[in-house]
Amino acid sequence: CTKDFLDAELITEITDENFYKTPKDAEAALVGVYDGMQAVVGVDGLSYPLASMILSDNAYGGTGNADSFTYQAVDEFDVNRSPTDANLYEPQWIAYYRAIFRANTLLIKLDQIDWSEDMARRNQIESETRFIRGYLYFQMVQLWGNIPLLTEPSSDNIPPATPEEVYAVVAEDLLFAAENLPAVAYNTVQAGRITKWAAKSMLARVYLYYTGYYGESDLVGLVSQSDALAHLEDVIANSGHALVPDYANLWPAASLEDFAGENNQEIVFGVKFTFTSDYDGNTDGNHWMVMLGMREFTSYPYANGWGVTVTEDLYDAYDETDTRQNASIIAIEEEEVPFDNVKGQREYTGYYSKKYAPMATEDGSSLAVELGGTNFMIGQFQDYFAIRYADVLLMAAELGSPNAQAYFDEVRQRAYQNDFTPLAITTERLQEERRLEFALEGLRYWDLLRRGVSEAAQEIAVSTTLLNGGVEAQKTISASNIQTTEGLQQIPSNQITLSDGVLVQNPGW
Amino acid sequence: QQNTVTGTVVSGSDGLPIPGVNVMVQGTTTGTTTDFDGYYEIDIDPNAALVFSYVGFITQEIPVNNLNQIDVVLEIATSELDEIVLIGYGTQRKALVTGASVQVDGDDLQKRSTTSALQAMQGQTPGVQITSTSGQPGSGLNVNIRGLGSTSGNNPLYVVDGVLTGDISYLNNADIESISILKDAASAAIYGSQASNGVVLVTTRGGRKNTSRITFDSYYGVQNVSNKIDMLNSHEYAIITNEAALNSGRSAIFSPEQIAELGEGVDWIDEMFVDDAVTQNYILGFTGGSETSTFSSSLAYTQEEGIVGGEDFSNYERVNFRFNSEHELYDGFLTFGENFTFAYINSNGVGVGNQFNNTLRGAFGTPPLLPMFDEAGNYYDTSNDDEEWLTGYNNPYASMVYNNQNENNTQKLLGNVYAEMQLLDNLKFRTSLGLDYYASEGHSYLPIYQLSSYAFRDRDRVYQNQSKGYSLLWDNLITYNFDINDDHLFEVMGGTSAYKFQGTYINASNVDLNFNDLEHAWLDNALNTDGSQIEQNGGPNPENMRMSYFGRFNYNYQDKYLLNTTFRADGSSNFAEGNRWGYFPSVSVGWVASAEDFLIDSNVVNYLKLRASWGQVGNQNSSAFQYLAPITFANTNYNFGNEEGVLTPGAYPSRLPNPNLQWETSEEVNFGIDARLFQSTLSVTLDIYEKTSKDWLILAPNSATSGAGAPFINGGDVTNSGVELALSYNNHIGDFNFNVGVNGSYNQNEVGNIPSNDGIIHGETNQLFDNAPEFYRAQSGYPLGYFWGLETAGIFQTEEEVNNYRANGKLIQPAASPGDVIFVDQNGDGLINDSDKTNIGDPNPDLTYGFNVNFEYKGLDFTLLANGVAGNQIVQSYRNQASQFANYTTAVFERWTGPGSTNSTPRVTLDNRNYSRFSDLYVQDGDFLRISNVTLGYDLTNITDAFKVDKLRVYFSALNLYTFTEYNGMDPEVGYGISNGTFNFSSGVDLGYYPRPRTLLVGLNVTF
Repeated sequence: CTKDFLDAELITEITDENFYKTPKDAEAALVGVYDGMQAVVGVDGLSYPLASMILSDNAYGGTGNADSFTYQAVDEFDVNRSPTDANLYEPQWIAYYRAIFRANTLLIKLDQIDWSEDMARRNQIESETRFIRGYLYFQMVQLWGNIPLLTEPSSDNIPPATPEEVYAVVAEDLLFAAENLPAVAYNTVQAGRITKWAAKSMLARVYLYYTGYYGESDLVGLVSQSDALAHLEDVIANSGHALVPDYANLWPAASLEDFAGENNQEIVFGVKFTFTSDYDGNTDGNHWMVMLGMREFTSYPYANGWGVTVTEDLYDAYDETDTRQNASIIAIEEEEVPFDNVKGQREYTGYYSKKYAPMATEDGSSLAVELGGTNFMIGQFQDYFAIRYADVLLMAAELGSPNAQAYFDEVRQRAYQNDFTPLAITTERLQEERRLEFALEGLRYWDLLRRGVSEAAQEIAVSTTLLNGGVEAQKTISASNIQTTEGLQQIPSNQITLSDGVLVQNPGW
Repeated sequence: QQNTVTGTVVSGSDGLPIPGVNVMVQGTTTGTTTDFDGYYEIDIDPNAALVFSYVGFITQEIPVNNLNQIDVVLEIATSELDEIVLIGYGTQRKALVTGASVQVDGDDLQKRSTTSALQAMQGQTPGVQITSTSGQPGSGLNVNIRGLGSTSGNNPLYVVDGVLTGDISYLNNADIESISILKDAASAAIYGSQASNGVVLVTTRGGRKNTSRITFDSYYGVQNVSNKIDMLNSHEYAIITNEAALNSGRSAIFSPEQIAELGEGVDWIDEMFVDDAVTQNYILGFTGGSETSTFSSSLAYTQEEGIVGGEDFSNYERVNFRFNSEHELYDGFLTFGENFTFAYINSNGVGVGNQFNNTLRGAFGTPPLLPMFDEAGNYYDTSNDDEEWLTGYNNPYASMVYNNQNENNTQKLLGNVYAEMQLLDNLKFRTSLGLDYYASEGHSYLPIYQLSSYAFRDRDRVYQNQSKGYSLLWDNLITYNFDINDDHLFEVMGGTSAYKFQGTYINASNVDLNFNDLEHAWLDNALNTDGSQIEQNGGPNPENMRMSYFGRFNYNYQDKYLLNTTFRADGSSNFAEGNRWGYFPSVSVGWVASAEDFLIDSNVVNYLKLRASWGQVGNQNSSAFQYLAPITFANTNYNFGNEEGVLTPGAYPSRLPNPNLQWETSEEVNFGIDARLFQSTLSVTLDIYEKTSKDWLILAPNSATSGAGAPFINGGDVTNSGVELALSYNNHIGDFNFNVGVNGSYNQNEVGNIPSNDGIIHGETNQLFDNAPEFYRAQSGYPLGYFWGLETAGIFQTEEEVNNYRANGKLIQPAASPGDVIFVDQNGDGLINDSDKTNIGDPNPDLTYGFNVNFEYKGLDFTLLANGVAGNQIVQSYRNQASQFANYTTAVFERWTGPGSTNSTPRVTLDNRNYSRFSDLYVQDGDFLRISNVTLGYDLTNITDAFKVDKLRVYFSALNLYTFTEYNGMDPEVGYGISNGTFNFSSGVDLGYYPRPRTLLVGLNVTF
């Protein structure tokens, strides 16, 4: 009797003792992994996409004139700009490992699930899970360089792995997905799901970054240049992906009703967001996009935000016949936006991101709220386009495809439309084209770094005058800070302390 | 010749008539007894004497001297040693108690005129530190018995009429007969796994045989803030802000012309407080009994308005009903009874939490330049302002109005039904069924508003919630007493206890209301049907069951040598099978030295007892089901497909499991002395103890790499050691009776080890201001929750001092300028960083003390109570240091303005660089002495019988009359600490603390 009396029952929760039994459980757990990816890529503030923009030569930290100098510390690779910011990336760090934990748990539980001989289903689930794990580890190792690597759940105090070890897991995960996902046209797969083509394209990106940044000849012995190229050629030949005819139609704020949609033919892989975030634990939104809005100023179709600014250098990099300039950047004067909050804006340049811009309805209210979002800060719903088909073409060109010139021309032709004039492909021109094509999509910084830290440092370093609260102020990003940090970011000081020094801060932070 | 003498006998303690007093003619066996009204009538020789005697009172002998009327006041026998005190599952003569406990009489609590009994006990119970968590009406109190012993909460177990509960704030003071606090492990061990933080035993009032009495007690008072803090006015603010700008390399922000026109601006602190907030209490009591039945019932109403925002935003209201009765059946073979108290509580309140949920805090930071209203008479909205000192700030008063519209009510029914059988003369069986039932509901309204670009709400929202639950307790006790040769007395008790808790909750919210006010803020009035805006949760609370077996064995030799042992075995559903049972033994001994031949005739030492005890108690306060890894489905989804807002649900394991979780254990040794000296006028109680709490139930602080919430684990320990002393002196000079009491307790708290990688439980960050660093922690060798920061060594006066401040060949603060603070480079490495941070304060007081002075003269009574603490520190952070333009308190006038101006407060800068690190600039001593209660009363029946009542006392009281302290905040009694539910060891953090009010009240006590 005593034993029964003391046996409590968990009524509303399932536990790991009765979960992970059926393929249906595995699919629910896989959605949990996608949710983990969504939470970290959409996290507010210094998410991977936003940090990548600010770190590059395309955007400044900006924000409000009375705000703390957090974004300047990131932008200028200088923690002394905001000494209290010892944990710049802690929410991100925590969110990455949460997502990794979900993936690792699912992967070790796959064996205990009753698949009833349906191994294709198992491979599908394993591939999607491993892609996400590989993709997230890639972001982490890019950001911090030296990170603990877990391929199964553990609560131990784990020291950082070498970059090679991390890249080996990344490459193996992506290779598994590339090999095991079905070779079917992208549009036969549910939108948002990871495809074989996403895995192959991501593998090429990892190859290019790893070999470039670390100066190696192949990707940890697992992927050679020709392997990487072959994957891309496979995507080009068999995926069904193609460019959207008009560049502007890729971006909602640039195309409005002509928007090609979030699952258009050009999107090889995107992280999906929607407006259902709330303050009760739902994190489905693009929480960093609000940072890119004009500082507390709305002018249809652009809604207010916190004012990360775009550099004049980027705006000026475009030829005036290039349709990508107007599709990528909000230009206050050129577009005659009646912006009147220069006093509230730090590092005002006259330019804001248009690709990722919070949007307003014609009467000036937040489109996100209109659709049902909690508010304009967490209600933003625009997907993050991680890999576009244009990138597949330009990567294939860079990796030495026999069709390199044709791929290069295809991307440029769309950009210049009737003003297109052919240009012979060179390494410099290809890199410049990548900047123009992928501006403000979170690729530029890494494209610079894979040309070597010192070259990246020269490109990013700047000494200029900007308007802080309407008053001219000096803006300096020094090359030596970038050299010192080797382009790596601050590891959260709280986590270093918790590890009792097993984690080590990156130089310069 | 015989005269007829008549008179009334009343009690000296409450002035009430005593029925049944023996009135004997001296030296004879003739006499009578007093009736229900204390009245007697006797025929006696006018030269003889009368002897008045009654159990528990001092016998009096009065010569008749030809008088016809002799009224007598009987004093309670000075030997309280015959007093019966509450112990776990029973009572005991105080003389025989061998553990450390302290008693509080219900009448004393009632005299304090407080809304809660705990507040009334402040400073009167040595070893028990009681601290307000906020001055808001109905706010909880932290009760720490003998120091902090755990990271997961330190509140004691409350037992009301034998029923276990977590809180006694629902009781009206007038309903309490007495409170007994079991402090040492030996006394508390009979409650086993519930008792590691001590036990507070409460009995509610019962009736007396053959009496009847009606009482009416009330008070009415007004409350005001006692010490309002001074912020800068607009003029001062502009001057200081200009100085900060100049110090930061910017030009002045306000021109002299602007400054001249600014005037005072808004005093936001002033706007938040109301004057003369009401507090009132009315209670009507009925007690009485026949030869075989007794009863005690009451009806009470209590209300207290908050001084912040007034009744609309901060209020507490309570209605109580109590019914206690007891009946003897079959000539006393069976006693049957019940005690029930019902409370209905209405409350609403403002935010008193962390910097993001603290209504008052906004008033500290908001610049005085922000106007209350715009030209149209609406609350001012800064979102269209581009003045940098207004950007982002919002009207704190309007913010209170918009964000604190709520109504909540709670009902609690607590009590038991019991039966006791006298099976043999010395064998008794008792069974009781206890119930602790609660139900609560609330709703709130969040209107659409815009006060700044950060403070706004686009859609109005309603929240509604309900919860209810109960715990049932079934106790069975058997007691057997026997003696050998009358000298060896034995008492044996054995019992079982079964406990079960069940509860459910439901809460929901929705947007877009039909009506725009709190009255109509109910879910049915919300129009929205879009599911993504609807929040709804509901379910059962985790069940909790316990099964317990316990026993006690007492031995007493001639009231001289005392032995007391207890044992309890507890099984809890909170742990996995195999780890469920915990065993909690105790033993204590006493020696009444004054009963020995060498002291028995002493004139100085009337009573002397030496005590020693050892015991173990436990704690099972982990969340339930820690031995499992739950799978979370909530908020887990991804929007596959082509449509926004369409979600596919998913799942993930949210926590790692720990099947090995077990009880937390405290072990305590106590030595004590009880003495009565000088004709028992002076009583002394002294205790020395050491208590070690180990195998804490804590959430192991784990690295983010584990990727999931950590489970509770066992680990970590803390030792509290201390001394408690209570002195009380009672005497009278003629009719002038007086009593002076002093008590104090000294406690030291030291953490042993912590089972994490770095041996530290880290405090929360982002608490003192935006992005604020960690500032408190639990760490081996330090007090629990100590303040961890940089030590400062004055202010750099000159550039030369900056350049001379070197160590290890380095300039220690290369970026500093004159006027900046000097940080101590503890490790001499030439750098200022986290490794230079050290213990710069302890929120736990070394000394907690109190005193009381009472006197009484012919119906006039006077009481003065005071309590205080010493040796603790408070962290004060009123200003958001991440903000350039937050307002300052007038303490900023002490800032550095040039060489030699000051060596303690640094210069002002816009980036607040001297405050961005946590240093002792934030830390102040928290010592205080508070005159908590001064009461003057008079019983009008002493001058006239015109009212036909037994007692008619009117009194005036001042609560929280004055506080002596060096602390410069509004209130030095800061019970608030950063708590996230699982790590509950922080205290002494003043982020804009809701101060305790000063109350002036008038009261009335009537007894019919």
